Amino acid sequence: MSKKELLISLLKNKLGADFLAEETASPGRLFVDIKKEALRPVVQLLLEQGGRYQVGVAYDARKNGQGFALLHTFAFDREALLVAVRTFAPEDNPEFDSITPVVPGAGWSEREYRDLLGLNFKGHPNLKRLVLSDDWPEGIYPLRQDVPHDLMPPSADEMAFRLDQAPAGTSVVPFGPFHSSLHEPAHFSVYVDGEDIKGCEYRGFMTHRGIEKLGQTELTYNDVPFVAERICGICGSVHSANYAQSVEAAAGLKISRRAEFIRVVMLELERLHSHLLWLGVAGHLIGFDTVFMQAWRIREKIMWLAESLTGNRKTYGMIIIGGVRRNITSEKAEDIRKVLQEVEKETLALEKAIVKDKTIHKRTRGVGYLSKEETIKWNLVGPVARARGLDIDVRRDHPYAAYDELEFDVPVTDSGDVWGTLVVRLKEIYEAIKIIRQSLDKLAKLPESEPLALELEGPIPAGQQGLSVVEAPRGEAVHYVLTGDDNRPERWRVRAPTYPNLQAVPQMLLNNKLADFPIIVGSIDPCISCTDRVMLVELRENRARKVFRQELEKMSRQVRFGR
Amino acid sequence: MRIVAVFINLFFFLLLPPFLEGVMRKITARVQSRQGPPLYQPYLDLLKLLRKDNLVSAPNWAFRLAPLLALASILTAVVILPLHGQENFLSQKADLMTLIYLLTLSGFSILIGALASGNPFGSVGASREMMTIIMLEPVLAMTIILGAVRGGTMSLSGALQGVASTRSLSYFLMLAVYLLALQAFVSRQPFDIPEAEVEILEGPYVEYSGPNYALFRYTLNIKRMFYAWLLVNGFLSFLRPASFLLDLLLQAVMIILLFVLISVVGATHPRFRIDQAIKYYAFLIILALAAVGLGVKGL
Repeated sequence: MSKKELLISLLKNKLGADFLAEETASPGRLFVDIKKEALRPVVQLLLEQGGRYQVGVAYDARKNGQGFALLHTFAFDREALLVAVRTFAPEDNPEFDSITPVVPGAGWSEREYRDLLGLNFKGHPNLKRLVLSDDWPEGIYPLRQDVPHDLMPPSADEMAFRLDQAPAGTSVVPFGPFHSSLHEPAHFSVYVDGEDIKGCEYRGFMTHRGIEKLGQTELTYNDVPFVAERICGICGSVHSANYAQSVEAAAGLKISRRAEFIRVVMLELERLHSHLLWLGVAGHLIGFDTVFMQAWRIREKIMWLAESLTGNRKTYGMIIIGGVRRNITSEKAEDIRKVLQEVEKETLALEKAIVKDKTIHKRTRGVGYLSKEETIKWNLVGPVARARGLDIDVRRDHPYAAYDELEFDVPVTDSGDVWGTLVVRLKEIYEAIKIIRQSLDKLAKLPESEPLALELEGPIPAGQQGLSVVEAPRGEAVHYVLTGDDNRPERWRVRAPTYPNLQAVPQMLLNNKLADFPIIVGSIDPCISCTDRVMLVELRENRARKVFRQELEKMSRQVRFGR
Repeated sequence: MRIVAVFINLFFFLLLPPFLEGVMRKITARVQSRQGPPLYQPYLDLLKLLRKDNLVSAPNWAFRLAPLLALASILTAVVILPLHGQENFLSQKADLMTLIYLLTLSGFSILIGALASGNPFGSVGASREMMTIIMLEPVLAMTIILGAVRGGTMSLSGALQGVASTRSLSYFLMLAVYLLALQAFVSRQPFDIPEAEVEILEGPYVEYSGPNYALFRYTLNIKRMFYAWLLVNGFLSFLRPASFLLDLLLQAVMIILLFVLISVVGATHPRFRIDQAIKYYAFLIILALAAVGLGVKGL
């Protein structure tokens, strides 16, 4: 009996009449509908069965008379199975049991839907606002369907963050909203006793773009990949590929093998540039700017290569629903091989310099330590988890695109600290090079006649669910798509790897030195723009309008202090 | 002549330091595969900063006074230095203790400015700066005291002469300690802990801008040059040529060479944490004490 069948029978036995429906058609996926009373026991059961919590997805299903829907998704990494459990609450009482007491990593998802959909979570330990700013009026829930995507309530005059009180005997050092060790706006209020970190509160979600809402209201299926790519300036292809995969899964579309290999090449090139970028930033964060400069010099070759392949250094615009936009010809493949050889050689030299440097060891070993148990408890992903002994990588565990045909190692260390993360990332550079070389070999053997992109035959039926995972350089990214009418998704949920990883940062910071704050936060490579993707509007303005560059420059010159 | 010497000192220490910063930036850039700014860039930077409005972010006199006090005390410290091994007009009235006081005063002015700014990063920077001063001051003091012990005098020229009077065990030990401490004296990586840009945003200087910041920058540059000067005029004073001009030229060349060394070390090391640095400083203090002990014994 496969894991899928086993889980279905276990759930049916346990729930009886509370089990509503199952959907098993797509391989490696299981969608289950249950009554909301059964949510806690089901989560309990899935955890006991070895499930790894991924993300919560909620949406407004009132137009179908179903009230509000809430999903929790779980990954079974050894059995290549993703499970999504869906449950509904009536419109007049949108309340669910909180699963945060059992799964601390669900805390943010639940707080997010309290803000955006007005759902209530019974038993959640900390129901502060997460996504909405503190001056957002009560009672307006931006993700509900009756709220327009461009709504802009007036902002309050005086509004500061409502931060928690610092514990007795500590003082607060504010890292953020703008700080040179954070490359995007985020606020860590760090409690210190001398130089020792005794705790920290995170307040993020300041870069409001409302991308999910946009995808559900304004764009069509085919527009979204290009917007999805702009979720992140570093791992854009991850999001466009991930979205395309979930729509293809929902529509039951199988793309050509050539397109799958080209997607792999683009994703791995992106990983190369991202890992080198991170390596440089990590060096910079511990005050070693030479590593920064050298790593970025090597990375530059990848950027030039990407430009010659796609026309862009970043934000490649290669991936669309049904395939890819450009071919990788044999001449281009030669260029790639040449660059890879240089990058490999120079990275080896850089690695040698890093591993030999005693001070780097001093600054990273034992720093930001988290045990394997804590890592599992917080559902960490990516190099951060692999540095803590967790052997997960969705490229291998839930193969997508052409990864099933490729051979590569998943580097894992168990030092549990920043050094481990660095080692994992360094080794993954060589694995990525290996993967690209294999893909190029296989591409050369495929018939030239294979189409790059397939057209959909007819509209995608509404109400189909698609769940997709992609291993971003930072870890697993999850996309969920529920198909809708009007040629656009009814619900599109993006969960970037930073979403779970950032939730565990306060834990990693505990009892480290203040000087280690930048490198610990940097070690998860936080992508604030990926994480903050959901919100709606810019608050200062009263109406929606576009701001053009000239005007922006004028504004920045006029505004000197305050407003 | 003795009055002229005061002004020669002043010009030497006002003109050269920004160039030395330029050397550091150029060498660092070359190590990092960069072009780097031209060598005269720091002069332009200082001029640019001096031309800006003075933004006073903390409304108290200590915040405004601190940069002036810092620069004034470091300038006073350098003008009393002996020139070509000779006392000048001002250093007749001064001795070793005056020099140490003035150096410490300039360090403490930075602290006062940081604490007066009321910025939390400033306070963290100030506490790091304070720890650094406490741990490094003894190393500097021991060097000069060793000279005083061996020269048998508290006068500046005598003590500096005394450091290198005989190249014995205590000389070599102290030279080694001084070289190991040099990177910390000039607060470059791995010891740029009080400023640490990514952690505490230049720490003590976080609230300073424009002319006030220029004064601090200048202070820091002069201080850095002073520590290299001390190495050349103390430990290497036996190399001093008889001609005055040649001496000044040789000093400048040796100081520049030291800064090349400092830049290369700085560019190839990440930053220590303050707790790691303090352990290192403590080790240096013990070695310096041992060197003075040997010096007293005449070894």
